[in-house]
Amino acid sequence: MTIRINGTEVAAPDDPRVSLVDLLREQLHLTGTKIGCNQGACGACTVLIDGERALACLTLAVQADGRSVTTIEGLSSQAGLHPLQSAFIEHDGFQCGYCTPGQICSAVAMLREAADGAPSYVTHDLAGHASLSSDEIRERMSGNLCRCGAHNGIVEAILDVAGKDAA
Amino acid sequence: MTPFSYTRASSAQEAGTLSVRDGHRLLGGGTNLVDLMRKGVEHPTTLVDVSGLSSEIGETERGGLLIGAAARNAAVAAHPLVRSRYPLLARAILAGASAQIRSMATVAGNDRVERERCRQAVRPEEGECPGPLAVCRRGLRRQGAVGSPDRGDRRGQACRPAGPPRSQP
Repeated sequence: MTIRINGTEVAAPDDPRVSLVDLLREQLHLTGTKIGCNQGACGACTVLIDGERALACLTLAVQADGRSVTTIEGLSSQAGLHPLQSAFIEHDGFQCGYCTPGQICSAVAMLREAADGAPSYVTHDLAGHASLSSDEIRERMSGNLCRCGAHNGIVEAILDVAGKDAA
Repeated sequence: MTPFSYTRASSAQEAGTLSVRDGHRLLGGGTNLVDLMRKGVEHPTTLVDVSGLSSEIGETERGGLLIGAAARNAAVAAHPLVRSRYPLLARAILAGASAQIRSMATVAGNDRVERERCRQAVRPEEGECPGPLAVCRRGLRRQGAVGSPDRGDRRGQACRPAGPPRSQP
């Protein structure tokens, strides 16, 4: 069994109890992904699995066998930072930075969901194509808590990138 | 977490065969079951991953909607057919949990949908079940699961599930 992590094939652990976040942090030393609550409530451990946002704390590593995982480390490249990473810096989207990798991974998937037309709880016209307002972003990002309260900067950063994507 | 083995079902038939074996539990997204396993509430000996089966969402011949049991909540809520013809279903899904959980969780999953949702059952650290429903001060907090214990029983009967045990994803 192998898991593709940031483009590299990694063997799944022998013990099925190992969570994906523990595989990433303890075995692979990809410590960008953080553990906050370890029970799926805070979103700090958000990664992308086959492009969809997922909680690495609630995912057993073996569940990711044969699938592709992208962590915060996988978002930047030789070419530089991911646009969302740059936007978070520019718009002061973090203070302590602990929730930030999860925020950014979550936002990557959120932008794609919105571009695909997926509605949210606050979307007025379910059958239409929602545009990303501040309210929409706050709802769609509500699975990512920020104890420092950097929400305004987070929303500004996401609005910035969403606007550039739409242009 | 107590040790267990993990396998993936290759078909619905295989999943059905495995699910009734002792200690076997079906695994969908794991958003409920993995959490309960980590808390020591659930102790399966074998997890049967069914998340790769039946995830299709489509129209039936008679114009209805077929949703595969392994379809993710987010996929159902975002599907054009659901959004246009069954908006209440989409809104109900979108009202729950978080986007990450909705992306992971399967529609047929949720370990506790058909089991007792008594607070006691999911928080064993709070002590032993006090027994008869009449004296259970948590009796009113059963949170209305489909198979929750008989809430209408006021005659001091012990807490019990409303129906026979069923296999859970």
